[in-house]
Amino acid sequence: MPPSLCALCKTSRAFILRPKDHQKLCKPCFISVFETEIHHTITSNNLFHRGERIAIGASGGKDSTVLASVLKTLNERYNYGVELILLSIDEGIKGYRDDSLETVKRNAKQYDMPLMIVGYDELYGWTMDQVVEQVGKKGNCTYCGVFRRQALDRGAAKLGVKHVVTGHNADDVAETVLMNLLRGDLPRLSRTTSIVTSTPSAVSSPDSPSHTNIKRSKPLKYAYEKEIVLYAYHKSLDYFSTECIYSPEAFRGSARALIKNLERVRPSAILDIVRSGEDMARLVPGGNEACSNGCSGQTALPEEEEGGCGSSNGRSAGGEMASMEHQLAQNDIATEVGLEIEITSSSLNGQQSGKKKDPDAVQLVNGKKGRRLKGPAQTPRKTARQTMGQCKRCGYLSSQEICKACVLLEGLNKNRPKNNIEVSSYAPEQEHGHMNNATNAMQKLQLGVD
Amino acid sequence: MSGKHLPKEIAAAGQICRRCRAAEAFLVVRTEPLCRDCFIKYVHTKVIKRMESFRVRFSAVDQSRKLLLPVSFGVSSLTLLHVLDQHLSKQKERTGRTGFELQLLFVDTSSVERASPEPQLVSLLKGQFPDHSCTSVFLSSIFEDESTDSEADFREYLPAVAQADAQPPSAEQRLEHLMKSLPSATARSDVMSVLRTRLIAKIAEEKGCEGILWGDCTTRLAEKTLAETAKGRGFSLPWQVIDGDSPYGIAFNYPLRDLLKKELTAYADMANPPFSSLIHRSPGSGQLSVSSKHTTIDDLMKQYFESVEENYPSIVANVVRTTSKLQAPPSQRTDQFCRLCNMPVTNGKFGIHGWGGDQQDSTDALPELSGNGLCYGCARSLPQVTAL
Repeated sequence: MPPSLCALCKTSRAFILRPKDHQKLCKPCFISVFETEIHHTITSNNLFHRGERIAIGASGGKDSTVLASVLKTLNERYNYGVELILLSIDEGIKGYRDDSLETVKRNAKQYDMPLMIVGYDELYGWTMDQVVEQVGKKGNCTYCGVFRRQALDRGAAKLGVKHVVTGHNADDVAETVLMNLLRGDLPRLSRTTSIVTSTPSAVSSPDSPSHTNIKRSKPLKYAYEKEIVLYAYHKSLDYFSTECIYSPEAFRGSARALIKNLERVRPSAILDIVRSGEDMARLVPGGNEACSNGCSGQTALPEEEEGGCGSSNGRSAGGEMASMEHQLAQNDIATEVGLEIEITSSSLNGQQSGKKKDPDAVQLVNGKKGRRLKGPAQTPRKTARQTMGQCKRCGYLSSQEICKACVLLEGLNKNRPKNNIEVSSYAPEQEHGHMNNATNAMQKLQLGVD
Repeated sequence: MSGKHLPKEIAAAGQICRRCRAAEAFLVVRTEPLCRDCFIKYVHTKVIKRMESFRVRFSAVDQSRKLLLPVSFGVSSLTLLHVLDQHLSKQKERTGRTGFELQLLFVDTSSVERASPEPQLVSLLKGQFPDHSCTSVFLSSIFEDESTDSEADFREYLPAVAQADAQPPSAEQRLEHLMKSLPSATARSDVMSVLRTRLIAKIAEEKGCEGILWGDCTTRLAEKTLAETAKGRGFSLPWQVIDGDSPYGIAFNYPLRDLLKKELTAYADMANPPFSSLIHRSPGSGQLSVSSKHTTIDDLMKQYFESVEENYPSIVANVVRTTSKLQAPPSQRTDQFCRLCNMPVTNGKFGIHGWGGDQQDSTDALPELSGNGLCYGCARSLPQVTAL
């Protein structure tokens, strides 16, 4: 059999079987088609505008490394006229993050991009190592996920950047779609499918009204994970491939395994799930006005929406499914026996406009048990909507009075010996040096910018 | 609490039925040990509750309401028939008439499917359920009738049959040719179920039925939710999972939506009069083919939810409850429909091109393709049609 030729240039020998559609390509054609598709995603969604400063959320892993490399290439090739900056979060995990940060530092040199590293310790007064020491390995991903989302926004604010791009790929998005179907969380399903999300975290400080709206986008939203790996390999990119040491017990979730199987049966399945997710977002009642016309609009995305770790581990450990099952079964018994009285949203309303829980379907947010208020089965219900407000402590966007990060911090700080608070670098110098919470960190950051 | 994770019979051993508190429990149903009688009653109640709008008092004395029940000879549709058959007998006994009338329909796919039910099952079915009229049709008959316009124009886009002689191809030839032209096992099972649904809806209408009673149980609906999502048919879920009007102009009902697959299997084992001889068990069902070439997305989801149901039955139910909250966009006169599956396609976005995930035009500069009037899901299964 003669060697097959590249399906695109039809001259070179094909070396690569494209994961997405099983097209046979030569190496240069694969590289070029991969880049062109990202370019297409960027231009058709108008992700960037000339003169924009863009922070790349860089973890040193394959996705963000490929993102940085491709964006640099495209910015030069198509003259986007954007300024690219690497933004890394240092969770403070020895043996993992310190090593991956070394990768990011090398990337910064290789790509000639400025790099900023924001640490959990300076933002929250806690490193993840310290958090784990206190709460144990179970459930620590919740802290990390909640802290990370805010950290990226605050890092961006510190840089004076209004747009952060992340390395979420098509597999991640597809996984989120299936995961949220399994968890019964339609509002989140509809929000996480948009390519652009924003955090209109109206930072309350009157001196710096400029950091109010950090836009998030996922230029790799339609790129297959396997192709990202291939691209990194063929471009000999320098990336860090060890998984976080705190999430080994968070085995690849149910949805992730399912997606791998689906991809094997029909390679287009990943893209098809993404498409289904976008279409379904329009069917979520009261969900996503921004999405009513083609889903390219912006969506407000509060707190830890996009999952704990960059590599999207840790979302569906067995324990999570078991505890949700238990909760749901209990609810069914309660309904059957009539133990629960109906609490309608109107009777609850009052000040609590930001009530989050969907009455019928139990939602499970990173291991936290959802509570369900059950009414008569026949009553048609509206899916509850989140109303965004600000955290009273730190001003960050939140559907609750106190944002999740501040709630978690309060729990942590309560159990920490008093003198430790004194030790942390900035608490004493604050005018209102009360609690070591995210507010302080926020103000500190703003001072740093000015 | 740990008892519910054990096999039922063992878990129920030595316990007293929680409902009648007299008989010995036979199996544990969602944490509740039940005896045979109470379990049968449990299944019946779950089904009848979904049939409340078809009570005797809602039907006029002089005209009966007709409902079509498609029978595939699987456990689910037979259980549904069994329960409703007894329900109707009871209604008749009590009031002298029934709230509705059942029409049974079997769609014969033997020409294009290897493991389809044997035709003699149909006569057995008629023998066991003589009170209901029963029809058997070939799947290919979808290509026979030339009456409606929409029908005609969906056929015109199917691959043409090479004609050796001047004779137009027969319906069977057309079906066979279509199936052979499909690129994968997933596409074949997908297109077959689309054609089947379409044919059933058409016959229901012809027979003057006001609705179709589908045999999908909770587990099946959850499977369908994820399978359709994976096939790019997420947009059509409201019509595939929720009770109510369908784009075929006839109501779809899912009376088994509150029962798990394992509960139906248990029912089929103990039902009286027994009907297990009618059940068609396709060889190798429940086992995935070793080669991914023969595995379909439907197979994968079936296997997945069978395992989830084992330990997490409430999660399966929650998937269905959640999906049922999706809201179909209000139908409009300007709506455009897929030529194959007949689902409304929003903004006329036919085919697999022209959305964010389609990056073809950047590389290949394809001309404007409208997917030939096929929705995204159908276009995925029929790539050769969209490429015409």
